[in-house]
Amino acid sequence: MSSSGTTAQHLPRTEARSLSGHEGAVLAVRFNRDGNYCLSCGKDRTLRLWNPHTGAHVKTYKSHAREVRDVHSSSDNAKLVSCGADRQIFYWDVASGRVIRKFRGHNSEVNSVKFNEYNAVVVSAGYDRTVRAFDCRSQNSDPIQTIDTFQDSVMSVNLTKTEIIAGSVDGTVRTFDIRMGRETVDNLGHPVNCISLSNDNNCLLANCLDSTVRLLDKSSGELLQEYKGHACKSFKMDCCLTSDDAFVVGGSEDGYVFFWELVDAPVVARFRAHSSVVTSISYHPTKACMLTSSVDGSIRVWT
Amino acid sequence: MGAGSEEDDLVVYGTPIEREEDTSARKRRAVAEAGQLRALPAWKQEVRDEEGRRRFHGAFTGGFSAGFYNTVGSKEGWAPQTFTSSRKNRAEVKKQSIYSFLDEEDIKDMGGNALETSQQYDTFGFTAADYARKQASKEQKERPSAIPGPIPDELVVPTTNSIGVTLLMKMGWRQGRSIKDSHADSLYESRRNARKAFLALSSSKNDEDQDQSSDKPSLDQAVVGSLEEMHISGNTPVYVLHPKQDLHGLGFDPFKHAPEFRDRKTLQKSRDRDHKRNDVSVRGNLLISNSGHYAPGFGIGALEELDVEDEDIYASGFAYEQTEVDIEPSKISSDSNYKLDDRKRGFYLSFKIATNSEYKLERFLPPEIPDDFDAQHKFPTPVQSAEKFSDSAPLEVPPPEDTSLTLLIDGCAAMVARCGKHIEDFYKEKSKSNPQFMFLSGGDGCKYYMRKLWEHQQKYVGQQRPDSAKSKTSSEKLTAENRGRILGERPLDRSTKLHSPSLSAKEAVQLQSNLVDTFVKPISLDGLPESEKPFSNDPAKQVRFEQFLRDKYKGGLRAANIAPTSTMSEADRARERLDFEAAAEAIEKGKGKKVIDPSSVFSLPGMNEQRFVAATELESSVVPHDEKPIYPRREQFEWRPSPLLCKRFDIVDPFMGKPMPVQRPRSKIENLIFMTESNKGTKDEVESSSRSSQHVSMEGTTEAESQGTINDPDIEPSSMQRPVDLYKAIFSDDSDDDADEIPNTQPMDPAKTSEGANMALNRLVAEDFLESLGKELGLEVPPERPKVLSRPETLSAAGASVSSQNERITTTLTEVKESQISLGMVQVGNGNEDAVLASAEMLDLKCEEGNRTEENRSRHMHRQSKNHCPRSDSSSERHMSRKRRSHHHIRNGTPESDSASERHRNRRRKSHSRHRKGRSRTPDSDSSSDTKNERKRKEKRHHQTYTRDTDSSDHEHKERYRSSSRRSSDKDRSRKHSRHHKHRRRDHVDYS
Repeated sequence: MSSSGTTAQHLPRTEARSLSGHEGAVLAVRFNRDGNYCLSCGKDRTLRLWNPHTGAHVKTYKSHAREVRDVHSSSDNAKLVSCGADRQIFYWDVASGRVIRKFRGHNSEVNSVKFNEYNAVVVSAGYDRTVRAFDCRSQNSDPIQTIDTFQDSVMSVNLTKTEIIAGSVDGTVRTFDIRMGRETVDNLGHPVNCISLSNDNNCLLANCLDSTVRLLDKSSGELLQEYKGHACKSFKMDCCLTSDDAFVVGGSEDGYVFFWELVDAPVVARFRAHSSVVTSISYHPTKACMLTSSVDGSIRVWT
Repeated sequence: MGAGSEEDDLVVYGTPIEREEDTSARKRRAVAEAGQLRALPAWKQEVRDEEGRRRFHGAFTGGFSAGFYNTVGSKEGWAPQTFTSSRKNRAEVKKQSIYSFLDEEDIKDMGGNALETSQQYDTFGFTAADYARKQASKEQKERPSAIPGPIPDELVVPTTNSIGVTLLMKMGWRQGRSIKDSHADSLYESRRNARKAFLALSSSKNDEDQDQSSDKPSLDQAVVGSLEEMHISGNTPVYVLHPKQDLHGLGFDPFKHAPEFRDRKTLQKSRDRDHKRNDVSVRGNLLISNSGHYAPGFGIGALEELDVEDEDIYASGFAYEQTEVDIEPSKISSDSNYKLDDRKRGFYLSFKIATNSEYKLERFLPPEIPDDFDAQHKFPTPVQSAEKFSDSAPLEVPPPEDTSLTLLIDGCAAMVARCGKHIEDFYKEKSKSNPQFMFLSGGDGCKYYMRKLWEHQQKYVGQQRPDSAKSKTSSEKLTAENRGRILGERPLDRSTKLHSPSLSAKEAVQLQSNLVDTFVKPISLDGLPESEKPFSNDPAKQVRFEQFLRDKYKGGLRAANIAPTSTMSEADRARERLDFEAAAEAIEKGKGKKVIDPSSVFSLPGMNEQRFVAATELESSVVPHDEKPIYPRREQFEWRPSPLLCKRFDIVDPFMGKPMPVQRPRSKIENLIFMTESNKGTKDEVESSSRSSQHVSMEGTTEAESQGTINDPDIEPSSMQRPVDLYKAIFSDDSDDDADEIPNTQPMDPAKTSEGANMALNRLVAEDFLESLGKELGLEVPPERPKVLSRPETLSAAGASVSSQNERITTTLTEVKESQISLGMVQVGNGNEDAVLASAEMLDLKCEEGNRTEENRSRHMHRQSKNHCPRSDSSSERHMSRKRRSHHHIRNGTPESDSASERHRNRRRKSHSRHRKGRSRTPDSDSSSDTKNERKRKEKRHHQTYTRDTDSSDHEHKERYRSSSRRSSDKDRSRKHSRHHKHRRRDHVDYS
């Protein structure tokens, strides 16, 4: 703790407020692009839009028939996309709260969903071992591409400008480079729960089910560092990097939140954020602010 | 007395009986026939008029009478009307009046009174309002107004009351009053009078006695209350009840897009009101279902059933408190509420809430809890506390001589230990007189009994404790892990098993040692003195041993940097490991006194709490030794993004202009054919299992015929016709049947054929290789036009004519590959299916020989997931046939085969092979469904009709073999079997 100097003290560790409203586990919480709002979704089949800085609950979106597993907002804040255990992907209008489109195609629960850079494509990852890309611009609700090289449930998907990166329970992180027409498979040997990208898009953070967060170099596939100490064995839990890429943040099944120093991987901070599994963590794109959500139904804002 | 006047008074019931002479003969006949007619069916009855004449005639019957009377019923008949143009002679707009609906009689009845709408009956007062307006305008016209024009008239509209209001007014209602029960009103009135009187009395008292002023306010209040009640009873407009409190513009709805907040807002408001009244209203939140282990949510829809997904896997028994955050600042709203109150007071000067309400709620005090009541209920636990016995262990007593008594005592003690003390009492009570049970009440064996009882109790408590602990934890928290274990799931693991069977022996050893590792206390390596080096004579071994100890010290998690010594054999390594194990144990025993602080071992707190013995962890601890250096492992493959995806990502398609990879059939016809084939495959799979005896004989025929054409096993018997073959139905003609004989009569030299196939194949392989090489180098290899043309379009006959040469070959390769996979699947599976495939495989023997060279390549090119079980069956069928097609295709590549007849033949053969598959199944009588049989029968019928059509030679052929079929079929089949096995063995070698 002492080694990491001043920046470690600025880590968001004090609870600013708690956003409560979800009934049941909150499965994901996400900042929007600029970090002014946040979205959450959970077992109560709703999406909620919050202002985490004031604690205001702005809106609730209901349409999902089962738990909502992931949500992402477009970069212009006009649209949302959400997915859930009802095998549906909903494309929402933020202001009216109406579902603009439903994308079908997944044969099973959908675990993760993301917009691409231009909000034109929605890429989703599902339990049916596929990653599917849907077109937002046409009326077609069928996928424009289905990637089915995975051997097990795909847990998490992330997009860069030219790549689709998805982590699967088969222990692989697959990067589909659209520009090169190349699929890069990084086999980590352990089920990958969640992947997130560093802010410079050079590194890949993979939360594996052996209670290890692994940092990979995206271009070479080299294992840069492993972060341990937390418990992650049976739940889908998020991990992410801080806004300045200096620390790795990860949740634990016992309700703790861990901060690791990026380079040397010591635990610089650790505090109990929730009483139960920390399902999701989202870090503010610029500020030292963090959101955590938990199975206990609460979302906490940390500054 | 005139008869007329009498008739006037008479009341007549019923219809008068007609006189005989009035009715004509015809009518009489009609009446007589009517009964008969009714007995006739509907289509034989005739329609007659009241005079018994036939009214409706056919086209040529009826004569003049029919034409005259039955058409229009007039002398003129259908006289054409003269045309009048509606252009010049417009239809008049008729104004309807009441009189147009009345006939002369009605008008006569009216007696000259005019009929018009009444001004008095006016439900909504519109007419009256109209009338009043007219009146007003008339008046206005008469007198000059200060403001010229009709404007004031429009603004100031004279009002009238609706009929309801008028009626109410007539009944005594006044404007501004509510409509209520007059009885209640009167009661209220009387009460008010009484109050007034009382007030008067008190005020008079008040004059003389000032002390009683304390009473007054309440009285005043009472009066005021009553007054205000009166006000309330008045007809209050809505805007008074719900005054506008916000600062929004008129008509602005802040909740327009967020209706969910509206009811929340009202809820909040009502809650505020509740707070003010201190009225505790319990509002049950119906939405939250707290039904234990189902996740709290909105509940599920009426049509949905509770599912696994609804289960609360997180098993969090949390109480969710809900707090609303209002989007408006709460202070303002409360302010406005106060303002509202002020305003209310302004509206109703005397509005105040009555302090003492008229009726009292009867309240009941909660029941008195006695002081000695203990909230914790103790069950009379049968199990005695173990401590009680543990500290007073009876002495060891030799059992009594009587063995039966010993047994009895033993059993009794066990029983008592299990069920509790009361059982003992029960026994004691029950068997007072029984000498056998004397030990219970201090007879002989009592001491032994005590001892035994104690022993059993100890044992029972000992075994129960872990149980209870376990049950407690499970009831406490059902984690996902636990649940998985209960359901028998394997713990999450990498789904692909990479270790080959050769690894298993080594693994077993390691697994065991790792298990030992997990349970043996880790040894701190730091404390290892120099002297304790058991392998000091072999430095390398010592190093390895230290490494081993370090591993051990690290517990279940292995470091990544251990490279296995490659020079050692597996057996050596295992032996060495065992040596190390023994040495480590010896070392530990030697310094057993040394206390190891576990926290010093693990730098991270929380690491200790790893409670896993899960397979994943074990695996992960195994992995580092041999596989760990592999991870993370990077592989790269070609991946083709769809053009649209590229477009949407704003990226130039890297594969632009390059031919599309093999895709699913796009054209309709292709689709259909594949569909039927795949369907057939699955169908036949089942069909074969439920085959009827008919089918057996059929098969006999088939096999006999195939025996007949043994020289060329590719050629299928012509009698096999399948109705499902759409493609054939469209594209082939009857001449095929004749052409079919050609292969039969001209058996091909198998050697020659295979030679040709090989040649063609080699060439294709070379071409393909060159092309792909060129592609990899970024060169565009132009396809060889003439060759493409020379190749008959057998494959692409179904519409894929655009497909280039390369594509077709890849198709072939894929198919071959896939069929291999499916073959592998089937081989693992049912033996019967083996036999089924035997015939099919045999057909493709040559083809596969040729293709085998390509297989390795194809394996590299096409990454296939081999574990797709579900589609193996149908796809095997499909690929089998497709493979066959590809075989033909290759053969057609030989130069001499460009004739139309050849193509025809091939096509036929293709379809036949497809048919044959279905037929030549070996029986498997597992399941039989009627529909399947039905279908089969139909097919059979079809087949038979077909054979009738075929030419004589074919027929003869068939006949011949039908006779010999029964004899030969068994032999034939067995031969096929053996051949198949041979073939398969070869396959095995090749594929493995």
